[in-house]
Parts: sequence; C-alpha cells; structure tokens
Amino acid sequence: MKIHQKGFLLQQLSNSDRIWDVELVKRLLGYYGLTGLYWENNTRVTLDELTAAGLIKSVDRKLVDLGGRTQLIFEYQLTPFGRERMIDTGLLQEVSP
Amino acid sequence: MSKVTSIQTDQSAALADALYRHAARSKRWGFIFALWTAVLWGAWYVPGTALWYEFPYSAIPADDRALRLTAVAVMTFVHAVAVFLFLLVWNGVLGKVSDFGRTFVRFRRISKWYALASICGGPIAIFGSYMAMGFVGPVFAAVTSLFYPVFGAVIARLWYHEKITTYAAIGMSLIILGGVAIYGPELFGQDTGVKEHAWLGYLGGLMSAVGWGAEGAVAARAMDVSDPDTGIQCRFTFEIMFWGLLILPVLSFTGLPVFRLISDTLADGRAMLWIVLASVCHAFCYTSFYKSFGLIGVGRGEAIGNLYAVFALLFIAAFTLEFPPVYFIIGLVLAVGGSFVMFREPADAITTLRDAQSEGGAA
Repeated sequence: MKIHQKGFLLQQLSNSDRIWDVELVKRLLGYYGLTGLYWENNTRVTLDELTAAGLIKSVDRKLVDLGGRTQLIFEYQLTPFGRERMIDTGLLQEVSP
Repeated sequence: MSKVTSIQTDQSAALADALYRHAARSKRWGFIFALWTAVLWGAWYVPGTALWYEFPYSAIPADDRALRLTAVAVMTFVHAVAVFLFLLVWNGVLGKVSDFGRTFVRFRRISKWYALASICGGPIAIFGSYMAMGFVGPVFAAVTSLFYPVFGAVIARLWYHEKITTYAAIGMSLIILGGVAIYGPELFGQDTGVKEHAWLGYLGGLMSAVGWGAEGAVAARAMDVSDPDTGIQCRFTFEIMFWGLLILPVLSFTGLPVFRLISDTLADGRAMLWIVLASVCHAFCYTSFYKSFGLIGVGRGEAIGNLYAVFALLFIAAFTLEFPPVYFIIGLVLAVGGSFVMFREPADAITTLRDAQSEGGAA
C-alpha cells in the first residue's frame, strides 16, 4: 500500500536538502496518478499545514509566471523537529518511493 | 542604475504583498473553519434535543438512570455510524478515501492518536457531560463545557509548545466569559441542593472540559503527519468501534436492553430523521474543527468553536420562538468581542503555530 500523501511529502523532503513546492506538487501528482488544479492547490494547503506545525520551513520564496498567472512559490526544507516527528511516526524507516 | 533599483524595489514590494496575502488567506480560512464549527455545533442542539422527545427515548422514565445512560450510549453509537457515512461521502467527493485507508492502517505510529482523540471526545467528554446534566443540571453541564479551550490550549502548550499569544489569551478569556454570561445567571437558579451524588456531576463537568480540550491537542498530534479530512474519519471509525464492540456489548451483558433500543431507533422514522440531521451537523462541524487546527492552532480553533454557546441559543430561539433573556446580549458582545480580538492578530504571527523548531523543542 502506498504511503499517505502528507507522509509522502515529508519523505520527499527528508531525501533532499530543499525542494520547491512546484517540484513537490509534480512528484505527488505523478506518484498518485492525479491531475488538475484541485490537487495542486490541495497539496499546497498541505504544505502550509506542515509549515504551520513546524515540521517544514520555507527557506526561499519568489513570484513566478505559471501558465499566464503570477504565482507565489516556496522552497521548503525539513526542520529538525520534522525529522524527529518522522522518526516518531515511523515515516523515516519506511522505504521512500 | 536607479532604474534597476526601482525595478528591484517593485519586485520586492510585490513579493512582500504576495506573502502578506498568502498568510492572511491561511488565517482567514482557519477562522472561517472555526466559525463553521461553532455554527454547526449550535445547530446540532436542535435535532440533538428533539431526539429525546421521540420514541424510544421519550418512553424512558426520567428517574431511570441506568436506562437513560444506556440510551445515551445507543444514540451516540447510531449517531457516530451516521457521521461516518456522511464523512465517507465527503471524502469520496474530495477524492481522499484512499488516503483515509492509508492513514487508518498505520495504527501503531499514527492513527492510534485518533483512537485516543475519539476516547477523549466520545466516552470521556460526552459521558461526562451527561453525568453533569444528570447529577447537577443541564446549565452546569453547558457552563463547564465552555472551559474546554483552556484545557486544550494548556495541553497543546505543554505538549508541543503551541504559541499562545496575548491576542489569543485575551480573546479566549472574553469568549469564555461571554459563554458564562449567557448560561451563568441561570445556574444560580438551578436547584442543586436536593441532588444526591452531586460530586459525580462535578466530576462529569470536569471530564467534559478535559475530554474535549484534550481531544483537540491529541488529534493535532496525529494531524502533524496526516490530513485532517482523513483524520476525522479515522476518529469516527474508532468511535464506532469503541461503542459498538466494547461499551454496548458490556452494557448488554448486564441485562440492559441495548439491542431493543437500537432496533426501535432504526425502526422509528422521526427518531432517524433527527439523528440524520444531527449527524450531518456534527460531521461537518468536526471536519471544520479539525481543519481549523492546522491553520490557526488548537487554542484558537477551540476558542472560536466555543461560540457554539451563542449559536445554540439562537438556533433554539429560531425553532421554538422562545427568545433568550436580556443578559444574552452581554454574553454575545463579550463572545463576539473576543473573536475580533483573536482575528486582529497579525497573520504573519500565526504562519508558524509553535515556538520551537529544534530537536527536543516540541514533542
């Protein structure tokens, strides 16, 4: 069984130093076979929740032109607390996709 | 050179503006979800109370304590099943049913927290609230429940260092004072002197405040690593299991008519209508409740949710045409004032809800 979506995002961040949200959205949609603006926005809300809870932090941000509209994008990094929480919940032990 | 500087200034101003709007949007949605919690919780009291006037519950004598507690257990169980079905539709529409399954199966590490949240919010808080109603009085039960955000905020603060700012503390205090102003005066008129075993009622009041307060903090612990929509469905799945596989069979074993009450409830169209209406309120009340935690924190989410005290009276007034007493206005002003104090908190102050981000800082 696949890992749940929030766990997937945390695992992706634990495998890299830092990742832009555009890349995280692309990876998540690809892994679960999802498409569309709803899932893109849903993933961004999930990243906001993870930031608010202190598991990840935004280390850079910029305005970019995406499909004709200006969008604010963030680059994220896993925090030490996020790594600790991943150990607590067994997410670091599981094999990442 | 000055043109380059000007373009850079424009870009940084645009970025700062976009960041501000992003933070403000998160905060606004957090408060909108918390407000929906209060509206739907208040609305829930209408079908929740009406259910007691339908068969089989209307036929239970007021002094038959054991049968009344059994009825509470049965109606909570049937209600939880109906909430589960509504949440299944909700997650089906959102496309999150698979994610619910993926979260639920991780019991040892993740969904165990939802199981604990369901014990805090279900058997402890609801049972405690009914004990307070039965052994002291309904107004006492309502007033004690209003203090649950204090327990939620304190547990969240001590357990994982959630930030309780001055705005949040003042707002929370005003909302609680507002609730006490609404229900408090009636408490003095409540006849508590003749009640036997009143300490059981006081214990029940404490159980409801601690239970609901702890539920938010415990659920937020699981929502660190899981989605709130799937989390709430995990929570109700566990609640069904606790009542259906543990509490009701034990009650039935003692000779209480659990199965007759269930079959009578399912066979009575009007009782089921009230249960369905109560469940749809409760399903989306709880969904909003859990979604608010991730955006504005447990303390703020629970405090705004406490506005249910105001909405409950307004909904009951709308359906019964019995208007609340004048001191309701004082409570209303305090509660709404407290909400505005909280909402005035700068959005960037709550983009991160916890003080510590270092190892060992938050657990």
